[in-house]
Amino acid sequence: MSDGPHADLDPALVSTRSVELAVMALLLCLAIFLGWDNWRLGAGWAPDGPQPGYFPFYLAVLLGGASLWGIAAALRSEELREEIFVGRSAFGRVLRVFLPTIGFVLLVQLIGLYVASFVFIAAFMVFVGRLAVWKSLLTGFVFSALMFYVFDVQFNVLMPKGPLEAAFGF
Amino acid sequence: MEALDSLLHGFGVLLTFHNMLLMLVGICLGILVGVLPGLGGPNGVAILLPLTFTMDPTSAIVLLSCIYWGALFGGAITSILFNIPGEAWSVATTFDGYPMAQKGQAAEALTAAFTASFFGSIAAVMLITFLAPWIATFALRFGPPEFFAVYLLTFCSFVGLGKEARHKIVISLALGFLLAAVGMDTVSGELRMTFGSVEMLRGFDFLVAVIGLFGISEILLAMEEHLAFKGQEAKIRLSVVWRTWLTLPRYWVTLLRSSAIGCWLGVTPGGAIAASFMGYNLAKRFSRDGANFGKGKIEGVLAPETAAHAAGTSALLPMLALGIPGSGTAAVLLGGLMVWGLQPGPLLFVEQKDFVWGLIASMYLGNIAGLIIVLATVPLFASVLRVPFATIAPMIIVSCAIGAFAVQNAMFDIWLMLGFGVVGYLFKKTGIPLAPMTLALVLGDKAEDAFRQSMIGLDGGLGIFWSNKLVGTITTLALVMLFWPLIGKLIDLARGSGRHEPAGAAGSGSSRA
Amino acid sequence: MLKSFVAKRAALLTACVTACLGIGAPAMAAWQPTKPIEIIVPAGAGGASDQMARMMQAAIQNNKLSPTPIVVTLKGGANGGEGLMDMLASAGDPYKMVISNSAIYTLPLANKLPFDWRKLTPVSILAFDNFVLWVNAGSPYKTTQDFVEAVKKEPAGAFKLGGTGSKREDHILAAAVERIAGVKFSYIPYKSGGEAATQLVGDHIKVNVNNPSENVAVWRAGQVRALCVFDTEPMNYPAKVTADQSWKDIPTCKSQGIDFQWIMLRGVFLPSGVTPDQVAFYQDLLGKLVQTTEFKDYLEKQALKPSDLKGAEMVKFLEKDEALYKDLMTQSGFVATN
Repeated sequence: MSDGPHADLDPALVSTRSVELAVMALLLCLAIFLGWDNWRLGAGWAPDGPQPGYFPFYLAVLLGGASLWGIAAALRSEELREEIFVGRSAFGRVLRVFLPTIGFVLLVQLIGLYVASFVFIAAFMVFVGRLAVWKSLLTGFVFSALMFYVFDVQFNVLMPKGPLEAAFGF
Repeated sequence: MEALDSLLHGFGVLLTFHNMLLMLVGICLGILVGVLPGLGGPNGVAILLPLTFTMDPTSAIVLLSCIYWGALFGGAITSILFNIPGEAWSVATTFDGYPMAQKGQAAEALTAAFTASFFGSIAAVMLITFLAPWIATFALRFGPPEFFAVYLLTFCSFVGLGKEARHKIVISLALGFLLAAVGMDTVSGELRMTFGSVEMLRGFDFLVAVIGLFGISEILLAMEEHLAFKGQEAKIRLSVVWRTWLTLPRYWVTLLRSSAIGCWLGVTPGGAIAASFMGYNLAKRFSRDGANFGKGKIEGVLAPETAAHAAGTSALLPMLALGIPGSGTAAVLLGGLMVWGLQPGPLLFVEQKDFVWGLIASMYLGNIAGLIIVLATVPLFASVLRVPFATIAPMIIVSCAIGAFAVQNAMFDIWLMLGFGVVGYLFKKTGIPLAPMTLALVLGDKAEDAFRQSMIGLDGGLGIFWSNKLVGTITTLALVMLFWPLIGKLIDLARGSGRHEPAGAAGSGSSRA
Repeated sequence: MLKSFVAKRAALLTACVTACLGIGAPAMAAWQPTKPIEIIVPAGAGGASDQMARMMQAAIQNNKLSPTPIVVTLKGGANGGEGLMDMLASAGDPYKMVISNSAIYTLPLANKLPFDWRKLTPVSILAFDNFVLWVNAGSPYKTTQDFVEAVKKEPAGAFKLGGTGSKREDHILAAAVERIAGVKFSYIPYKSGGEAATQLVGDHIKVNVNNPSENVAVWRAGQVRALCVFDTEPMNYPAKVTADQSWKDIPTCKSQGIDFQWIMLRGVFLPSGVTPDQVAFYQDLLGKLVQTTEFKDYLEKQALKPSDLKGAEMVKFLEKDEALYKDLMTQSGFVATN
């Protein structure tokens, strides 16, 4: 199965099997960790019904079992070994949107949501979309201003804010 | 008939210029809050509640309930266009709505969703008009075992539907249940799986998870594949509305079934979310073409939307008649009632006739007005898909961040949303379905509470789930649903037809959930 | 297009509110807010704390008591622990006040939450909430004595008592009643008092100890019966609420053989590190608030006990109250040990 017309031209970065194994292994670790925590809390059946850890514990067992099954299934499958999870250039494109998004969230934490979204939208349009600079700046500004007007001014939903908003007294 | 007289009286109260204007304003504001992810019905109503403090109660409830109708309509828009549920109850709408949009049928899907919403609401309002007292007493018969039975029915109608490999469905369900259990345990009062972290105290909010799992991951996938959302070539003309309408009568069974499910779950507070899932599942199960659900079938849009809106509307009844909110939004409206000096409860219908019947009349008019407004905007919303990806993608991400933050006013939730985005991307690409996880996330802790509340006391034991006719019927129905595939086979065997379906493809390729 | 239309309409609506607020802010305290004030509600939507916050919001805005708008923010995670921890983290922020109830004692004790009300700035206690012993109107128990006799006859735990949350005020009260009356209930924790009220009407539980406001609707409809109030004197609201009873007609539990007083504070705190000027502004604001008709109506409707405790008196009360909680919770085994 290939995901697009250009999947054949795109050299494989990683096979579906490897990713599936990694995901299943992570889920297994999570299951063990959560199972242990709930066991500690009490996973028995008291006279007045199950203890707080009862359901989560057995769910963790179920999750662990299913991910073990998943590991076995992935190891056995030849088909998955050859299947391309993501090609190099495709993954590059994913990073081109994912990394800026991380940057955006970091900016929200540092300088507030509105300035961050202006920077993010404008920069994304210029550097990823290769759109005209004035258009990008204008779009970013109009969108952020509109959001500010709707949320902070009209609806009184207070978003995280930074020094710029503080300078205007918000 | 007394109800009709009262209703006419209600229309009389409502039909003033002032109230009609408020109705339109409410619906437009509601659509706006419905479209913005995270800022859903409860938040929207809560935010606008202060505006109504100075109004008289009837005008106030008209404005606020119309915001609610608007939000009910608006929630479907982003689900269909971007695979981002604007509201928790529109998650099931994404299953077929988004594939339809990808096939270039965004306008059809939107029309179907809006019309179905309208149908569900009207069915529920009629129920409220004529059967209010009877339904109010029915809701009282629900104790913990009954609630658990309803949740069990929702889950059982869901299990065994997916085409994905069994272990992947189990993973998704178990993970959803575990995430739902994080935070304070109602029954024991203990903190579970918080690991001493303050941020984990509030648990995982369903909306934050959904915005990440569906919205952010969809952007990542869209970027990986084509640098664009599909479905740009959608033909957008208002005549689409008419053509879609012509096809709807043939789905009357689905519409009626979903309305019934919705009314029932709304009254019993199972909620609009459970209703939308159950509506979708049953439509899929009983459809002759069930295998094609999830690939863009119009029935898959009609079923959850009808059920969600029937539930959302009928959820107001227990609030008015009993003073118990059937949904989050109803809870906020309840607070509003008290601020306006009204006392919700059994006497409201007797003491505040103007208010109650004005509200019921506004349910009719508000939904009609809402339908006209949203249908008129179908081309507008569908054309959003034509905006260049590089422009719309960052805007969607910003809206998602605002939504995730607004749910609980927590910066941590924005990071969480990002994390869920990665999980969603990996799961979608490794064929782990997201739907079971979202269902478990929203109903898991409620089901667990109800189960454990049932176990307390001298009569606590599994027998309690068959202790009276009502709970026994629901529980048995749930088990029948669970073993339906098996029962179906047995029936086939008994007939001796020997028909065998090809063993459900266990292929775990890169098929999308 | 749509958005701008919508926004215009919203602007039209808010115009009145904002315009009124902008002008005529009385200048009495040295410190004045310049941005919206948040009321943090450490509880879910529609609950008693939320209702109180909405009422305060309405009363403050309608009477133009504050120059800036009031915003209500729900932070109800972990039985309110989320809201309380948020207040701890907001040291020095004079734009946040929290409506608190007894969770300020129970959460640190039962869940080892690293919270202490001494790390916040107490402003004032606006009211106290009473607790009433309620049974279904269809049940044969006319008085508290009838009821206690009936419970004693059945095997221990046959009577289900429903309340809000586990190891919270309802649960502690139930355990205290068990000890004093020598009976044993099965306690069923629900998410809210409203739920406990409906469950009582539906006969899924035999008894609850809801606050008056949580049961008033079903009481007026003749679906539940009030047996006694856990206070030293009857509630001081003589106006008839049901066909033949007023709040004042409910006898005290002490007079009925259960000698126990149990009231819950509904108070307001600011974060730590705020200046005396800021505290003065809020004390002044709340002082004016309790004089408004909205607030008085609210007290009567919810049958709350008025209070004007603030400053040192409030701290003294909190310390005494906390000791009581600690004692009762220890006796019932609700204090976290691990």
